[in-house]
Amino acid sequence: MADPIVSLRKIGKSFPGVRALSDVSFDIANGELHAICGENGAGKSTLMKILSGVICDYDGELHVSGQKVQFQGTRDAEAASISIIHQELNLVEQLSVAANIFLGRELRNSIGLRSDAAMESAAKKILVELETDIDPRALAGSLRVGDQQLVEIAKALSLNSQILIMDEPTSALTESEVARLYRVIAKLRQRGATILYISHKMDEVFQLSNRITVLRDGCFILTENTSDTNANEITKWMVGREIESLDLGGRSAPGDVLLEVKNLSMAWPGHARGYRLKDVSFHLRRGEVLGIAGLMGAGRTELMECLFGAAEHTVQGTLLLDGKPYSPNHPKEACNAGIGLVTEDRKRLGIFPAMNVKQNISICSLDSTLLAGLLSSKLEQEASSSMVGNLQVKTASLESAITSLSGGNQQKCIVGRWLLTQPKILLLDDPTRGVDVGAKSELYRLINKLCQDGLGVIVTSSELPELLTLSDRILVLSEGRLTAEFRREDATQEKIMRAATQ
Amino acid sequence: MNQRSGFLAKLGIRPNEIALILAIVAIIGITLGADANRSYWFQWETNSIEIGRQTALLGIFALGAMMVIVSGGIDLSSGSMIAFSGTVIACSMIYLQYGPLGSLLFPVVVDSAGKSIATDMAHAGLFVQSLVVIVSIAMGLTSGFFVGTLHAWLITSIRLPPFVATLSTLVGLRSMARILCEYTTSTYQNSKKAQVNIDHPFFTWLRDSKHVYLWVAVFFVLAALTWVILSRTVLGRHIYALGGNEQAAKLSGIRTDRLKWFAYVFGAMTASLASVFYLANEGVCAPVNQGRGHELNAIAAAVVGGCSLQGGIGTVTGTFLGALFLRIVIDSVSKIIKSGADIWEGLIVGIVVVLAVTFSQLQQLRGSGRRLFPGALGVCAIITLSLFAALIAMSTWGEKQAAMTMIGVFVVLFVYGFTEKQKARG
Repeated sequence: MADPIVSLRKIGKSFPGVRALSDVSFDIANGELHAICGENGAGKSTLMKILSGVICDYDGELHVSGQKVQFQGTRDAEAASISIIHQELNLVEQLSVAANIFLGRELRNSIGLRSDAAMESAAKKILVELETDIDPRALAGSLRVGDQQLVEIAKALSLNSQILIMDEPTSALTESEVARLYRVIAKLRQRGATILYISHKMDEVFQLSNRITVLRDGCFILTENTSDTNANEITKWMVGREIESLDLGGRSAPGDVLLEVKNLSMAWPGHARGYRLKDVSFHLRRGEVLGIAGLMGAGRTELMECLFGAAEHTVQGTLLLDGKPYSPNHPKEACNAGIGLVTEDRKRLGIFPAMNVKQNISICSLDSTLLAGLLSSKLEQEASSSMVGNLQVKTASLESAITSLSGGNQQKCIVGRWLLTQPKILLLDDPTRGVDVGAKSELYRLINKLCQDGLGVIVTSSELPELLTLSDRILVLSEGRLTAEFRREDATQEKIMRAATQ
Repeated sequence: MNQRSGFLAKLGIRPNEIALILAIVAIIGITLGADANRSYWFQWETNSIEIGRQTALLGIFALGAMMVIVSGGIDLSSGSMIAFSGTVIACSMIYLQYGPLGSLLFPVVVDSAGKSIATDMAHAGLFVQSLVVIVSIAMGLTSGFFVGTLHAWLITSIRLPPFVATLSTLVGLRSMARILCEYTTSTYQNSKKAQVNIDHPFFTWLRDSKHVYLWVAVFFVLAALTWVILSRTVLGRHIYALGGNEQAAKLSGIRTDRLKWFAYVFGAMTASLASVFYLANEGVCAPVNQGRGHELNAIAAAVVGGCSLQGGIGTVTGTFLGALFLRIVIDSVSKIIKSGADIWEGLIVGIVVVLAVTFSQLQQLRGSGRRLFPGALGVCAIITLSLFAALIAMSTWGEKQAAMTMIGVFVVLFVYGFTEKQKARG
């Protein structure tokens, strides 16, 4: 193997409350295609952000072409000939393709005016090289996702980048676009480019890469030559995540069917795949916890939104709640039917930051705190404080700002908010995200107790051990399709991961 | 909502409201000192009436502006809404008197040949007079309901940003008011007029300074009603939730579109209510310039009173004090400078809003360690501020003094900016 072009030495990075990366060290050889694998939250994106100069304060050292570097921004990384193609593409949609390619380093003519013509012809040259007929004068926003990605690649080429980072580049592409991307990658490698390829699709990784590095929980696990390993082994390394084991004890047998979902589909206009969810069928019993596993973009959140009447696009299929047809068009209808949703992104979709703890808990059940048509602060106080007591929310007072609480306690407030509506079904979308370990096991016990009380619970999680701890049954989604269903006894992390990367 | 403390918390008064009360007291004190006529002391009654009248006039639709702002939107159209609703009221009165119903309601004046030449408002009975006023004002309020509905529809169904939706009615409604005015006068009074005198006895009665208590009473009742809605009803709580986090509100099962409908209708109807007092105050329905630009005063009152333009934060007490504070500052300046208050009004509102918002963020500004006058932008800003200070000094003081003011302000700010720069380096 030639000298490493990039070498990472003990790279570490902490965000408030989370250690995203610790002591990651490995080398990337010149001219190789190096795949980086890991579950959601393994630290892949953080590492790539450090490499591309998006994150500038980190521990450890970064060497490029044998020299120590400390990037102060993406410009520095570009100067060191590193470019990143983000998963969420970074184009200014209102500007032309050529303008995007040369954004921030616009070409000028002899008297200092911007020269669109020069940029367009330069852009055209690169695009032709990439076997595409994208018009450099077209608006970036008018292109398909696959073409937008090529524009990003063209931008990297125009910078003469020797090192290209591709963050899940195929997640939004059609099959023919994927084939074209593979051809482009081959061409780039002929020119001697080094490519860092982030993906959790095993077939791609094995088709393209020379070597594979696995990250887990922010730690470096191993680097392996692709020819010396296989998909099963890599998946095993990806999932070997440890969490505090917690035995919730046996549960009484689930009761009768509460919710039945038949052939649920949800369109995704403008996307290559065409659907967010396709033909998903399952049922939920009283007193049962149903876990939903899937990687980022598999459709877990979309499924929850369909059940809660908050879907963005047209939903097809049949839902039966207690045997009666149920087709919610607004979350209000779902509430009235006895369904509650604890949202995935607590900060954006859950809490009301300007309101206090009491008001955050009572917001969904204000109708039961009325006296003569007006809010009774006494009744509201009683309702909220009963939840704070039952769920053991740690707060200075009911009047404290919700933002002064820890993530776990905020989450308990939101669960309490829904329990006050006396729901039949509780949907929990990644309920322990951003919650510390101690509070997690408290939430697990709480969920367990709720279904012993006869509630039906559907829970999604990006952490497999969590689902294995909580669920009676686990469904696996992959790219909008239901790919497997396991009973708790039969499920293992490897089986689930295999179904999720199918 | 969280920074309340102790005794004041129990009264439901927030720190920024206390600051406003203190500022109001301070300004009254300054005016007492600086006004050579000691007008606030010797003519306190006249002054109270004038400030009461002006505060009611502004406060009524500032409450509406606040409701919309708390819900996370903005209503730029209230000034034009006042003109439109005022025109609807005036035209309804013309229609009732001179239209086909006129001869049924009013005694008819007959000329020597026995031909009817006019209907007579002055000699109509109290019942008919009241009926005309009540029906006309009801028409005005109804027009507010429809305009508010239009806003809500544009925003929730057509998905226009509130700024665009209400900006278009800001422009459109005034034009519509002028069209309505010209049509009604030319059709029923045989002469096209750009404005209509309001001589109905009710409005003359209302204009009388003896009856200003009624203006203030209407403002107080509306404020109390708004307070009950926002603080004591589910609707109010949901409005705060909508403004604070629209997505979360929707996912909590709140019908956000209906709430927006309520907020924009409330905003437009308070402007309609204000238009009644505008007609009385000015004695004329003038669609061309009635209430022109006043939407910004209402928004300013709400912002000075502690509303966040991001939505979700704002109180009735704050807006009430904000409106009072603005009117007192304007009145005070006119007392001290002894020139027409209306010339200074815009400048005062502008300065007060900048200062109020700056003060509310002062802590943050200091904490962030950002410089107030960074680099070339800072130098140009210092020059701009010096020039404005000179302009103000010139018109009130004299040209020589203006030059000195300019140099003084420039030197002070420049020294401040320089020390700031040194600190940032060190």
